[in-house]
Amino acid sequence: MAGRQILMTFPVTATSHTLAEYRARGGYQALEKALRHMTPQQVTQEVTASGLQGRGGASFPMGRKWAVVIPGDGQPHYLVANADEGEPGTFKDRWILENAPHLLLEGMLLAAYALDARHCFIYIRGEFDLPYRRVAAAVEEAYAGGYIGERIIGTGFDCDIIVYRGAGAYVAGEASGLIASLEGKKSYPRNRPPRLTVKGLYQRPTVVNNVESLSNVTGIIAHGAAAFRAVGTEKSPGTRLLSVSGHINRPGVYEVELGYPWRRFIDEDCGGMLGGRALKAVVPGGISSKVLTAADIDGLRLSHEDLWGAGSTLGSGGMIVVAEGTCMVRLLQIMLRFYHHESCGQCTPCRHGTGWMHRIVDRIVAGEGRPEDIERLYYIAKYNDGTTICGLGDAAGYAASGMLDKFRDEFEYCIANKRSRYEGRIECPTS
Amino acid sequence: MPDILINGQTVHADADQTVLEAALANGIFVPYFCWHPQLSTAGNCRMCLVEVEGRGLDIACNMPVSAGMRVLTDSPEVKAHRKAMLQFITLNHPVDCGICDKAGECTLQDYHYTYNGEPSKSVEPKVRSTKYYNLSNRILLDNERCILCLRCTRFTHEISKSMALGVERRGDVSNIRPVEDRPLGEDPYSDNIIDLCPVGALLSRQFLYKARIWYLEPTPSVCPGCERGCTVQIWHRKDDWRVQTLDPAQNTSIARVTPLENPAVNGPWICNKGRDLARIFERERADQSMLKGKPVELDTAIEAARELIGAARRPVALVSNWASNEELAAFKQYLGTVFTSFVKSDCDPEPGERLADDLLIRPDKNPNTAGARELFGDAPPALPDGTDLVLVWGEGCDFATLPRGARIVFLNAFLRPENGHADVFVPLSIQTERHGHYTNFEGTVSEFRPCFPKPATIADAETLFKALAAPARVHP
Repeated sequence: MAGRQILMTFPVTATSHTLAEYRARGGYQALEKALRHMTPQQVTQEVTASGLQGRGGASFPMGRKWAVVIPGDGQPHYLVANADEGEPGTFKDRWILENAPHLLLEGMLLAAYALDARHCFIYIRGEFDLPYRRVAAAVEEAYAGGYIGERIIGTGFDCDIIVYRGAGAYVAGEASGLIASLEGKKSYPRNRPPRLTVKGLYQRPTVVNNVESLSNVTGIIAHGAAAFRAVGTEKSPGTRLLSVSGHINRPGVYEVELGYPWRRFIDEDCGGMLGGRALKAVVPGGISSKVLTAADIDGLRLSHEDLWGAGSTLGSGGMIVVAEGTCMVRLLQIMLRFYHHESCGQCTPCRHGTGWMHRIVDRIVAGEGRPEDIERLYYIAKYNDGTTICGLGDAAGYAASGMLDKFRDEFEYCIANKRSRYEGRIECPTS
Repeated sequence: MPDILINGQTVHADADQTVLEAALANGIFVPYFCWHPQLSTAGNCRMCLVEVEGRGLDIACNMPVSAGMRVLTDSPEVKAHRKAMLQFITLNHPVDCGICDKAGECTLQDYHYTYNGEPSKSVEPKVRSTKYYNLSNRILLDNERCILCLRCTRFTHEISKSMALGVERRGDVSNIRPVEDRPLGEDPYSDNIIDLCPVGALLSRQFLYKARIWYLEPTPSVCPGCERGCTVQIWHRKDDWRVQTLDPAQNTSIARVTPLENPAVNGPWICNKGRDLARIFERERADQSMLKGKPVELDTAIEAARELIGAARRPVALVSNWASNEELAAFKQYLGTVFTSFVKSDCDPEPGERLADDLLIRPDKNPNTAGARELFGDAPPALPDGTDLVLVWGEGCDFATLPRGARIVFLNAFLRPENGHADVFVPLSIQTERHGHYTNFEGTVSEFRPCFPKPATIADAETLFKALAAPARVHP
């Protein structure tokens, strides 16, 4: 167990996701507490005081996002749970959706109370089947149990939660793209300003929060901000769900107390490297975070500040572990193929930049690389950074420039010798 | 009124303006593709990136002004980013200016020369897409040239409201496509998207490969298609570039019609009928004066008409509502006391033609009903008993409805069977051959100028009326 735990506090069984078992674990008591004894402002204050940072990727302080929305300002507000988990390497929200859907619902109800949102939406990734069924069943249970709907648990608080299935676009996981999709439009992200908390869904103030972020609200209200702050580091309170994949012995979803030593997490909690090979690199938080080498992560703790200090980010918590002997050129090719395929095509730099980088790396992998290709990739990455409507364009550039920063020699080798130093391997040889 | 600093220069801006609007209003040009003053902000071309000191780069078209902000539109960073944006935009663009109708008036071409000027940094094969895609019977789409600024889709959603266009697929294979159940061909404003397109992606089928734009020049004119009286530009061959050996009709034909932006009447738009002025003006012309179908010299016909008018005891005039204010005034001045005058409707709506809508199209399909009624009243034509002469000015009169035995003097510009039935027929000039003004239904007066010379055998109404009223022979 990687430190103290907040979310994964119960053994997962065939029925542990049901309302009955959730209540037996003390579920919906935070909601009782908030609705009967707290004002909406107090709920927001508690979340602000907890220092909870968004778990979707940007790690934006949750309370600051909420504070923009003024309860009772005479217009509808909306809350959206972003369950469109699509960042490559990330599958941690899926654990909550499958195993603790009521934790999310309770967190959403608390947030809706704080934000004065009459209607909430769960935008769930279209490819998610079991998670969708579990969440939809949980919503029905909660309606039947009087936790959602009108006069919730006998108080004057009304709130509906609507589950909406996405149609399979990575960019719909971007908050404003999600809202466009939820409105029934093509999932094109929007320019800011206005921010979504000013004009979001149906042009009304809207808070879009990640599933894990909202699930954490339940504990914060139940046990107080101080209890939450007691876990994790000072600048990164709480825990993170990390989904670990790649060349690792025990891939899966882990709850890690922020500040936990990274190497220890890989070597002990995750059972070490596959086939006992040496660690080459880690993509720490989904492929949109910059890759780090084994040397980079030595001595680092799993916390937002440590990762930022190393020039990367914990991002969406999708950790991809890469063993020695893997071809990083091929790895970048796969990443760029993804960005190229998923670029929505709305704004110029990303629409053309992602494809351009992809084709260049395709050519390098095919043994037709040119010496100027590396400089060209940097050029494209540079002018994708900060010029696009949403972060997808930036992220594609980070993937490329991050890989080139750390493994430039492999690219140079591949260009000079017209073949990969590691035969283009991305699977880890176990023998 | 917040003051902002653009390139060190203090600029007064309105509180609700964006930096782009404030810059443009103060004569500081910031390049843009997707932004358009009449459309919502899309912010997708990223061409208008500017630098705000202390805040980095962002797009000017979506940046609200705030007092004291310091904007740089020409810093080295901004210039480098503009170059890069043009590198991205031309990455998959075919750069086939040599065979593109837009060449010469293409925003991308202009910006390339102004802001980039470098060859492509890419050696990759370009993404291929559809050429000559049929958007409607009026418009072709070249998807390879398209830069996906979405001006056309926004136009159909926000201005014409036909919702006829959308984007199919995503990424660099995104394509503008018609929506299945909303044909663009039924959008009477569809051709505006051709003007809106900053590149050569949307092409007019009428104008396709008809002329290089630099051989043409626009003459300001007024669309006579309805009482809205939209101001237009009629494009025709420049005098310097008159064709010598090919079909000389090219020198006097309308190459295309585009809107002439006019906030008082039509904004930047016109309807498709206005694009098709050639269908009105390039019908077969009457250029031969006739007495009961017998060809005569123009002077002879004028003399005969003058004599008929002089001899008539109860003459009635059916005045054209396609006449200019100047012609109407001349009629009033010289012949107003001679005739009992009624304003006639020259043109009724064609079967299936849209009668009216909220944007531009008006039910009265004549350009100067308001101007004519101002001088001659709005009583419907009613020929009194004993009418012995009818002067029919313009089209739209069925001679069978005129009193039996009344003599007919017919003034018309186009070849019609009834020309030969009139006692005197005098061919008239058309709008593209003269200068004048129309008054639209709201009382706004707009000017049109001559595009082509008037043939010598054709009369000009203004001088004709003076001649008809003269006691002795006067040459028109």
